[in-house]
Amino acid sequence: MKTKKVILKNESGLHARPASEIAKIASKYQSTINLIVNGKTINAKSILNIMSAGIKFSSEIEIQCNGEDEKSALLELETAFENNFGE
Amino acid sequence: MIKGKGISKGIGFGKIFILEKRDRKIQKKNVENTEDELKKFKEALNEEEKEIEEIIQQSSIKEKEIMNAYLMILKDPTLIIETENLIKNFKYNAEYATEEGFNKIVEMFNKINDDYMSERAKDIIDIKNKIIDKIFGEDNFNLKKLPQNTILVAKELTTSETAKLDFENVSGIITEIGGVNSHTAIMARTHSLPFVTEIHNIFEVFNNGQYVGLNGKTGEIYINPSKEEENKLLNIQKLIEEENDELKEYKDKDTKTKDGFKVELVANIGIPSDIEKVIESTAEGIGLFRSEFLYMNSEKMPTEEQQFLAYKEVAEKMQGKPVIIRTLDVGGDKEIKYLNLPKETNPFLGYRAIRLCLDNIEMFKIQIRAILKASAYGNISIMIPMISSIEELRKTKKLVEECKKELEEKNIKFKEDIKLGIMIEIPSTAIMAEKFAKECDFFSIGTNDLIQYTVAVERGNEKIANLYSQYHPAVIKLIKMAIDGAHKEGIFCGMCGEVASDSKMIPLLIGMGLDEFSMNSNKILQTRKLIGNLDKKQCEKLIEKVENLESSSDIIKELKNFFE
Repeated sequence: MKTKKVILKNESGLHARPASEIAKIASKYQSTINLIVNGKTINAKSILNIMSAGIKFSSEIEIQCNGEDEKSALLELETAFENNFGE
Repeated sequence: MIKGKGISKGIGFGKIFILEKRDRKIQKKNVENTEDELKKFKEALNEEEKEIEEIIQQSSIKEKEIMNAYLMILKDPTLIIETENLIKNFKYNAEYATEEGFNKIVEMFNKINDDYMSERAKDIIDIKNKIIDKIFGEDNFNLKKLPQNTILVAKELTTSETAKLDFENVSGIITEIGGVNSHTAIMARTHSLPFVTEIHNIFEVFNNGQYVGLNGKTGEIYINPSKEEENKLLNIQKLIEEENDELKEYKDKDTKTKDGFKVELVANIGIPSDIEKVIESTAEGIGLFRSEFLYMNSEKMPTEEQQFLAYKEVAEKMQGKPVIIRTLDVGGDKEIKYLNLPKETNPFLGYRAIRLCLDNIEMFKIQIRAILKASAYGNISIMIPMISSIEELRKTKKLVEECKKELEEKNIKFKEDIKLGIMIEIPSTAIMAEKFAKECDFFSIGTNDLIQYTVAVERGNEKIANLYSQYHPAVIKLIKMAIDGAHKEGIFCGMCGEVASDSKMIPLLIGMGLDEFSMNSNKILQTRKLIGNLDKKQCEKLIEKVENLESSSDIIKELKNFFE
């Protein structure tokens, strides 16, 4: 399993657009991908799960990828967070 | 006879088909064979997915965005797993498991105190109902296959329902709720389908299978019409058909008066998908493309790329014909959440349109750059709304130059000689038209606001509606000042308000030498016909007569007289 901690830079939190970006990326990979925020585990492939978690600006998020393609999945998600989902 | 509000003209006869959300009883059952139930659920999901994908292919950019979000929810593993677990672990039947599974997620969303989330909760409920319909195998109503001559009766028709409609066999629509500008109404008008709305307690008024005749212009509906009533409707239908046939002759023709004075006859649009109607009407371009749609109904500021694509789509579809894009025209009365505009006591005189844009320069430049980029793909011009002082025009021009430089530095193509014009909708600007004409490329008179600001009457206020008149001598004087001002400096002057398609006013406007008439595309052909029957010299004589009159009522009389 590969993990990485990131900080959410998006000021309005993980709203619809960034949430759908994450779900879109995560769904491309075979690996099980979770986001851990405040001890909660969120399925990164589920836009509903991400949105309903109500993740706020500057929260610390741990990305966990587990599976064959875990390395590239983690890399792509990490980059998306770093680029603040192109905003 | 029942009377509602007609929002798409035409005459229709047929049998009532009531589109009612039936009360299904979803019973909780325990099943032996969970595999079958899982399969039912999966198939329903797949079917719905396919339908949405079909709709996405046919929809405009904005609709695409909405339906794509829908699709993501539909494909969401949380929803699917929740429901599947209920089938596998509790041996529930598919419909009950769907109900329960989806409701859990809905609850989760409702707990978050956020408007946006509760809207998504509604989407999930909508999807849930569709899936359950599919599992029941009834699909509630098959809108794609309706019997011939169906008059559809519904509380309200949604966009997705209308998109699926079998237009071949529907001869009319009657609803309880529906707006003139709803998607459904627009589509009905495109298909020349009579549409009457605002019928209260609609399910008590109509029964399935009843024979009715309706008039989509007057909003009249006759249940089991008498011979006399039916003949009356048939006569109107014949007239409409004759008129339409006659108007068809005016397709693809130039717009000019009998004595050869040529004008540009162009269309107003609000969303890119309006383009189909514009092309159908053979309008000679777009005189007003309202860019607000990109900003409204959106949760956040549209990006430069989104705007660019929308403008480009329109420019390309118009194939080199002129497209005038009006920059953002919103303010106090039109709410845009993410702009956080303060409520104003006097929004029409407040912080809006160009005033707001010049105060939010970064936002404004995004739009200008998007328009400039799109200008490489067609004949685009920029139009600035609500200009009241020359400084605003100068500031805007400076911004446009800055944006051009930015694009040049990045080697992005744009139309270098793109024209920049202003709306004449504030009396101060009409009075100073000559000065403005020296510093911009064209005018377009926005009569709706011009009237409101000239006579100090708010358009929406019914108590003083009788004071709001395009025939007010002051309004006519201002229109003339704008046109004369433009012509003195050799620039072109158009009009994009409702007056441009007012048959009584057109002769006067032709007399004044208005160069361009911009209107809803359904008025194009009749206006081309009207102008074709005018004689410019006679129209010029009309100006003198009207100028000597003192009141709106005298002017109306004179204008009516002109046709006799």
